[in-house]
Amino acid sequence: MDNEAPHINVTQLSVAYGDQWVLKDVSMTVPGGQVLAVIGPSGCGKSTLLRVFNRLVDRVAGVHIKGQVRVGDFEVIGDHVDLVELRQKVGMVFQHPNPFPFSVFDNVAYGPRLQGIKNSTRLRILVENSLKQASLWDEVRGKLRRPASSLSGGQQQRLCIARALAVSPQVLLMDEPTSALDPLSTAKIEELVLTLKGQYTVILVTHNLQQAARVSDFTAFFREGHLVELGPTKEVFTTPRQLATEEFLTGRYE
Amino acid sequence: MTVHQKNLRTERVQHALFLAAAALLIALGFAFWGTLGWGALRFFLRHGLNRTILGLRYHPIRGQFGLLPFIIGSLAVTLIATVLAYPLALSVAITATMVLPRRWLSGIRQAVASLAAIPSVIFGWWGLAMVVPLVRNLGGGTGFSVAAAGMVLAAMIVPTLSLLAIHAAMRVPERWVEGSLALGATPDQTLGRVVLRSIRAPLVEAGIVAVGRALGETMAVQMVIGGQTFMPRSVFAPGSTLTSEILNDIGLLPPGALGHHVLDVMALLLLLAMYGLVLLVERIGGREVG
Ligand SMILES: Nc1ncnc2c1ncn2[C@@H]1O[C@H](COP(=O)(O)OP(=O)(O)O)[C@@H](O)[C@H]1O
Ligand SMILES: [Mg+2]
Repeated sequence: MDNEAPHINVTQLSVAYGDQWVLKDVSMTVPGGQVLAVIGPSGCGKSTLLRVFNRLVDRVAGVHIKGQVRVGDFEVIGDHVDLVELRQKVGMVFQHPNPFPFSVFDNVAYGPRLQGIKNSTRLRILVENSLKQASLWDEVRGKLRRPASSLSGGQQQRLCIARALAVSPQVLLMDEPTSALDPLSTAKIEELVLTLKGQYTVILVTHNLQQAARVSDFTAFFREGHLVELGPTKEVFTTPRQLATEEFLTGRYE
Repeated sequence: MTVHQKNLRTERVQHALFLAAAALLIALGFAFWGTLGWGALRFFLRHGLNRTILGLRYHPIRGQFGLLPFIIGSLAVTLIATVLAYPLALSVAITATMVLPRRWLSGIRQAVASLAAIPSVIFGWWGLAMVVPLVRNLGGGTGFSVAAAGMVLAAMIVPTLSLLAIHAAMRVPERWVEGSLALGATPDQTLGRVVLRSIRAPLVEAGIVAVGRALGETMAVQMVIGGQTFMPRSVFAPGSTLTSEILNDIGLLPPGALGHHVLDVMALLLLLAMYGLVLLVERIGGREVG
């Protein structure tokens, strides 16, 4: 397994639900091991973009994808892509914490078990490491058999991060992971994202502009399915090149 | 009298009425169990277990009251029905909720619900026309058989079982399915390891309800099982169940007739079995998803 966090190349990507094009001719590169924040008004296609990267868009009947997406050397778009392999490479954390109705342990062990790992010692080590990586271990050690639903919302979201990390992905997609959480839990997850930097390529969709400024290396601003601007976060926030970006950042948009 | 006092009085009258209704219901329940239990107990004391529920020969006019063939018959038709119906209903539920487009779901539910509303005598009638000839071709004999009864019952419980399974599957939120797929699970793995696993309890509950319906059904069974009172030698042979035999003998053994209380014994056995099932559902039910 190569632990090198891959860069992501998007070339002329367009996506339609039925005949409504919601991503239009998007081209961009995300450098490996960096955190990219994706911002933009709601409905501009941020979630769709993430769900192309792990091909969860396939679940929508009548979806059309044009263009090319590569994660490292792995071709994401096409009819014969191995979705299992792709989704092991590219993990996802959702807007609302969605732990399974199982124990804390079984949630984290879910991915490894899919891969056929049965050895209980190995599973225990994997679960412990993943929970540590997700900064949840100290709060749940000794409670691994409790139902995941007994955890707080913020803990559940970190559990979902641990669950994704247990599969050893190279890329982590996060779709507004803190929008349902209180400020304290949000801060914990932001810290966590900073620790993941380097080992994973992270794409973080967020409504929270301060969050984008705090944790990301690069920021992409989308509007109506177009990529308006992508650059180092500092530059995008201090000296945006596009008027639309500036308007959005200063709250004169929407 | 003030309005307040008037309200108080109405309230008291209401309470008294409710109390009376509840007391009546409980009294009826006791009377019912009491009569059955008393009749059955005296019968057991007179004839002993070996010549009742463990006995093989049934000929009440001659004083033979062996019920084992009917007990086995009831168990056999119930088992056949459940084994045939359960996987079918589960596939219907999975197809309706997970495979087909969501917009078809309510139509499918309506269709299945309309099947669940068919009276059992219609199923018996359909069984005479279709199932009995089928079994005749498959297993020889007349076709009136334990197997035919089991198949008719299966058809009868599939709609109810499907509805219950659909309701259970609808309780599985989309976000669990997506969470599983996003971790690299195949759709099949997601079905087994998340969907079915998270609704185990309601699925077991549905199965018990179905077993109860099969065990208690009388008319549809009586129409196709052949009504033979000795132990069926195979599923293709005719037989009887506790319910079909009660129906058969009610005219033969009126109250006061010698052996009338064997009906109490059969009824009590059914009642105990059904009560056990209700208790099981009660124990499983109330548990949340997961
Ligand atoms: N499953 C779907 N079917 C049809 N249209 C959809 C679907 N999901 C999203 N859309 C539409 O696509 C557009 C982009 O949505 P989305 O990617 O969720 O944007 P964002 O995450 O930026 O709010 C919106 O107009 C939305 O209504
Ligand atoms: Mg979104």
